[in-house]
Amino acid sequence: MIQAPYASLWCKSHFSFLEGASRPKELLAAAKTLGVAAVALTDRDGVYGVVEAHRAAKETGARLIVGSEVTIDDGSTIVLLAESRAGYANLCRLVTLGRRRSEKGESAVHWNEVAAHADGLIALWGGDRSVLVTGNDATCDAIAPALREAFGDRLYALVARHRRAEEPRQEARLRTRAGRHGLPLVAAIEVLYHDAARRDLQDVLTCIRHGVTLATAGRLTKPNAEHALASPAAFAALFADDPAAVRRTLEIAERCRFSLADLRYRYPAERLPDGTTTSEWLRQLTFDGARWRYGGDVPEGAAAQLEKELALIDELDYGGYFLTMWEIVRFCNQHEIYCQGRGSAANSAVCYCLGITAVDPVSMGLLFERFLSRERAEPPDIDLDIEHDRREEVIQHVYQRYGRTHAAMVANVIRYRPRSAVRDVGKALGLPETALDRVSKLLSHCGEIPAATLAEVGLASDGDAHRHLLRLATEIQDVPRHLSIHPGGFLLGHEPVSDIVPIENATMPDRTVIQWNKDDLEELGLFKIDLLGLGALTQLHLGFDLMERHHRQRFSMATIPRDEPATFEAIRRADTVGVFQIESRAQMAMLPRLKPRTYYDLVIEVSIVRPGPITGDMVHPYLRRRAGEEPVIYPHALLEPVLAKTLGVPLFQEQVIRLAMVAADYTPGEADQLRRDMAAWRQAGRIEMHRERLLTRMIAKGIEPAFAERVFQQIKGFGEYGFPESHAASFALIAYAAAWMKRHYPAAFACSLLNAYPMGFYSPATIVDDAKRHGVLVWPIDVATSAWPCTLEPAPESPHAFAIRMGLRYVSGLPSRDGARVVAAREQAAFRSIDDFAERTRLDEGALARLAEAGAFASLDPDRRAALWTARGLARFERPPLPLALTEETPAFAPLDEFETITWDYEASGLSSRAHPLAPLREDLAAQGLPDSAAVSAMEDGARVRYAGIVICRQRPGTASGVVFMTLEDEHGFVNLVVWSRVFEQYAALIQTATFIGVTGRLQVEEGVVHLVADTFWPPRVRRTPSSGASRDFR
Amino acid sequence: MDRMACVDVPAFPLQILLRRHPEWRRLPAAVVDRDRPQGILLWVNEKARTLRVLPGQRFATALSLARDLRAAEVPSNEIERAVAATADRLRRFTPGVEPADGEPGVFWLDASGLEPLFRSLRRWASLLRADLADAGFAATLVVGFDRFGTYAVAKSSARSGLVLFDDAASEREAARRIPLDRLALPPSVRDALWKLGVRTVGAFVDLPPRGIESRFGEVAHRLHRLASGALALGLSPAPPAEVFAGRCLLDYGEADAMRLLVVVEDLLRPILAALARAGRAVLELRLGLVFEREGERTESLRPAAPTLDAAQLLDLVRIRLESIDLLHPAVEVSLDADAATATREQLDLFRERPRRDVAAANRALARLRADFGADAVSRAALRDGHLPEGRFSWEALDRLAQAVPRDVAMPPLIRRIYAEPVPLPTGSRRDVGDALGSYVVSGGWWRRTVDRAYHFAETNSGDVLWLFYDRIRRRWYLQGRLE
Repeated sequence: MIQAPYASLWCKSHFSFLEGASRPKELLAAAKTLGVAAVALTDRDGVYGVVEAHRAAKETGARLIVGSEVTIDDGSTIVLLAESRAGYANLCRLVTLGRRRSEKGESAVHWNEVAAHADGLIALWGGDRSVLVTGNDATCDAIAPALREAFGDRLYALVARHRRAEEPRQEARLRTRAGRHGLPLVAAIEVLYHDAARRDLQDVLTCIRHGVTLATAGRLTKPNAEHALASPAAFAALFADDPAAVRRTLEIAERCRFSLADLRYRYPAERLPDGTTTSEWLRQLTFDGARWRYGGDVPEGAAAQLEKELALIDELDYGGYFLTMWEIVRFCNQHEIYCQGRGSAANSAVCYCLGITAVDPVSMGLLFERFLSRERAEPPDIDLDIEHDRREEVIQHVYQRYGRTHAAMVANVIRYRPRSAVRDVGKALGLPETALDRVSKLLSHCGEIPAATLAEVGLASDGDAHRHLLRLATEIQDVPRHLSIHPGGFLLGHEPVSDIVPIENATMPDRTVIQWNKDDLEELGLFKIDLLGLGALTQLHLGFDLMERHHRQRFSMATIPRDEPATFEAIRRADTVGVFQIESRAQMAMLPRLKPRTYYDLVIEVSIVRPGPITGDMVHPYLRRRAGEEPVIYPHALLEPVLAKTLGVPLFQEQVIRLAMVAADYTPGEADQLRRDMAAWRQAGRIEMHRERLLTRMIAKGIEPAFAERVFQQIKGFGEYGFPESHAASFALIAYAAAWMKRHYPAAFACSLLNAYPMGFYSPATIVDDAKRHGVLVWPIDVATSAWPCTLEPAPESPHAFAIRMGLRYVSGLPSRDGARVVAAREQAAFRSIDDFAERTRLDEGALARLAEAGAFASLDPDRRAALWTARGLARFERPPLPLALTEETPAFAPLDEFETITWDYEASGLSSRAHPLAPLREDLAAQGLPDSAAVSAMEDGARVRYAGIVICRQRPGTASGVVFMTLEDEHGFVNLVVWSRVFEQYAALIQTATFIGVTGRLQVEEGVVHLVADTFWPPRVRRTPSSGASRDFR
Repeated sequence: MDRMACVDVPAFPLQILLRRHPEWRRLPAAVVDRDRPQGILLWVNEKARTLRVLPGQRFATALSLARDLRAAEVPSNEIERAVAATADRLRRFTPGVEPADGEPGVFWLDASGLEPLFRSLRRWASLLRADLADAGFAATLVVGFDRFGTYAVAKSSARSGLVLFDDAASEREAARRIPLDRLALPPSVRDALWKLGVRTVGAFVDLPPRGIESRFGEVAHRLHRLASGALALGLSPAPPAEVFAGRCLLDYGEADAMRLLVVVEDLLRPILAALARAGRAVLELRLGLVFEREGERTESLRPAAPTLDAAQLLDLVRIRLESIDLLHPAVEVSLDADAATATREQLDLFRERPRRDVAAANRALARLRADFGADAVSRAALRDGHLPEGRFSWEALDRLAQAVPRDVAMPPLIRRIYAEPVPLPTGSRRDVGDALGSYVVSGGWWRRTVDRAYHFAETNSGDVLWLFYDRIRRRWYLQGRLE
């Protein structure tokens, strides 16, 4: 018998956080397979999943209805479906109302608000949390007429069946009430998963949501597995006694004609000078900027490029977007906030002239089409880097300028990863949390959950709990857990944003966030501006300020000398600790090989140490060609213009795109699709779709099959992260400025770096030790002189004229308000004693003890233990109204030896300005025949080496086939280790946990780059274990 | 007293834990205050200590130091029970036993005058340690002269096991060398003193007492005074738990319940008198019978409320004696009472009421328990489950509360549920007329999967049955009936 189809009108996905157990696309795909006429995605108080569902509907051909299950302030719910665009806007506004007045994660609207937003919405009133089922007659009779009046014939009574014993009684009540108020009945299942096999996961999600275990969940979990999307036959059988209610699902589906494709979005228009159009105003600002950039006369090439860009911007009506970015940059400039555009915007001469970016795309020959093209028909994407500690000022400015209704930040959906999956699923299964904590610490941030790891912590591998944990923790991976906030993405709208997507409160105060993430915005072609925090800009700003204050030298990124030889000489020596982008172990290993001499070399340096070029096997050919060791050849004459500036080797994303266009005749549309597929590299298979097309076309054009294959591998590699040239060009500017400052003003550089922390690759301890190796004096924290930040103090004995005085901010656990009290009291009069300090600052015992432990009382009492004893006594001492002499004598304590002094420094401030932790052990280590890093660097290639050092970095890049790179440090510098996966597996526990480690291996010296290839690891035999700053570990 | 000893069962709760998890003995292990990553470590074993895992750390922190650290909670009542049991064991060796307050596993013992009984103090100490080892505890025993000296040395002698001092001076000298972190100092104080370079008891004692008090508080100050000898505390032996019991050896075997009741009455009267002097009443009575040939038997009897009413108690004993088969004559009768303080409410239970005499009902229930056993009286308590049998559980009813009936407009049908679902024979279907359903209850997949389709069915004879089809076992069951 052919069953009539039906529409499933009440479906909740993963985006009803911790309730629905299927992805929207799984629901849509199942609907298509089963023959369900339409699926209404009605997630709880939101439309978080509708974009994914919209995409899935387009792909599968299934029909999507957009809606939401809205929570009322009496605790009941009602399902609302968008009949039209107006209805969808009303739904978004209504949810925004509920969300904005509630705590994050909650929502509540009043019945009168539901009625006020009824236009264009269909209401399905029913289900076991609805007033129609659970309320008393009086409540029901009070609400129903108002809803009836607001919704008219768009109000239905929802008959939901899940084969529960109490449902017939509830349904009878609902039918009676529906009859009394003239509501037509419509059939539904509350769908929580696309397939009954997801029932277990749904139970677990429910437990996680309520913070209970499966054993104690009671009736919080559903009593059966009857919440799957039903086939038409099953649905018809379930409602066999009421076929009219089934038919009505189709009637409703027919009424709901709204699709996300109907969204029309307008970027906000800027407030313009009287009578000026957006286009005119942008043109005027651009050419004003061009004259500033090019020093009066705009070169012909640049003018032509500007004309071309402005014409396209005008044609696509993107002028408002550029004016917004210009306005934000202007705000930053007015408030002396460093900012710089990055990414593909650097391809635009207009952006350059508006001051948004700092790279001249005309002189660099950058590809504008990478930024904006007619064929692509997608909004431009300008990312603006802002000093990280002042970004909030800019964010609040945007809110203030556009208003909370027209501006909101973009969401970031937090999803389950192995560690969080094991913790939450394990808790739901009732497993001991201490065991779960243990297992989660052994897991990586992403990837599989190995069964052996569970067994390792004592969760028996043959037990039910182990089996369920493994199965469900794997199944829950990638399931959305909660909504977070994008680092800096804003959605701005000419019309209120809440007409497009609901806005809710973020956890951070004064932040509001939309319910969609950046991929959703891209899918719908909505404009996003990105205001990103960048520590390097903070560091440069602080550094330039220090230079102006102490060296009387006023510089900025724009005015420092270009292509300065001494700076590049330092860069070639890999003297780049703390230098943005070129400070990592891998970058430092590349610098002596690539030997940068110009700014453009730096652009290449920034790009080349990336997974894209590395996995594409582009690095070595480029280096050989650069060194003249192999000829620069092009596989086809056509490719020469594309690859000329990188010696025939594709290094930038733009080149790969152009390569596809030139060598494989990709149309702009195909090339754009390739770019998107490269960007979506996490989704397996998208790049592979291009393989055959690329290879066939290249071979047809006379390119060698081997080269064609290599080009494809390079494209694939870029997919895993390759830099666009424009992006690298922006970053290289900052890298150069930082390197210049480090080379010429090392004290100001290190001081600013310490004040901008946290940022970068190295811990403050390494930054301080590096500064000292450059002859910078670093003086310890002292309450007599230290400010809150690190400062420069005149030091005639220093070659750099100034010494760094460590700031009070480096006293671990000392709040900034306490630091301010110290500085304020000192400004009144110098401290005479610790007693005087305690009396005038009124700091508590903890703060006094922390200062004493950090050695900050050294100028008042050089004995740190005695200072600590005194500080502890003073804080508890009840001060008499009149000053009285204290009679207590300080006992004699054993003075700290050098090792203890450094240990105290590390414990109290995470670093030591006095000496490196290995300095006091050097004699001991030398006696064991262990060289220092300077001696290791001087050894010859192939030498056998035994060495011991502090671990400051561990890295296991995905591109290195399991090889681990480590950096060890001592008082003379670094030793870089290469650990093959076989060796790593053998010594994994020691490598992963030791802070001070011994290694035996063979030295590899190549072009001045020294690596120790490890054979064995061992714990060094020393009397005392040295302190260390935390190792920075990366994947 | 001229001799004092200190027993330290190191990390006592941990030893309790390791008796529960013997497989953890070879690993770093700890007792935590709660089973959470943020749980605080209370006690740790030596393997953990060597990895710098110390009490006071959070579990998550400790885990970063010892990746194979095992930890669990040990409830305080379990510790208290073990302390009491250990103190009882120690009393076999000396009457003066003082469990340390707040430091379970530490006991001070009066070791004076024991040489004549045990030949030497060393032998006494060895026997005592061996006895504790039999109980599953590894302990250190220090015999010396001073409360603090023996304690400090005991806390640091985990491996030596037994230390005997011949003179007070050497004990004092040994105590000065003890690492401070072995003593029960608050972790914050321990760490602060460590920072100051104060690592031993001697260095601690050398600090000025007022300075200690003002900086580290009362606990540290008291320890300082004890260590320096400024505070000398004698032994305060804990009295053994009060026993309200009696025993009677019969000259000849007795199998007659009434005559045994007379013996019980003779035992009961002095017990009740002792209880009355202590202001207490019988909470539970244990009647022990040793038979000529059949071994022994213990019967527990619980009155409706704590009582000193001999008649009521004897009535319960009589009922119980009459309900058991005395096939063999008893040769020994013992009586042992658990006591509780009587409250006014309990006394009120005996007050006469005009209607619904709850006290009388409770007495009746007590008689039922006496007749059929302690578990004979129970009641159904509602539970939050999906399965019919998961929606209630039986719990012991100690005392009946006053009923507070509700007004119900339309009384629901009564469902009678079988203790166990009854499998239906095949072919029963023909006896069934109309049926409602199915209603599905499924779940329990994490423990034991259940999948049932429920129906209400009316039989041809008019009975309404509550049935389900077990989809896993593939057969029909009768869950209950409707009235």
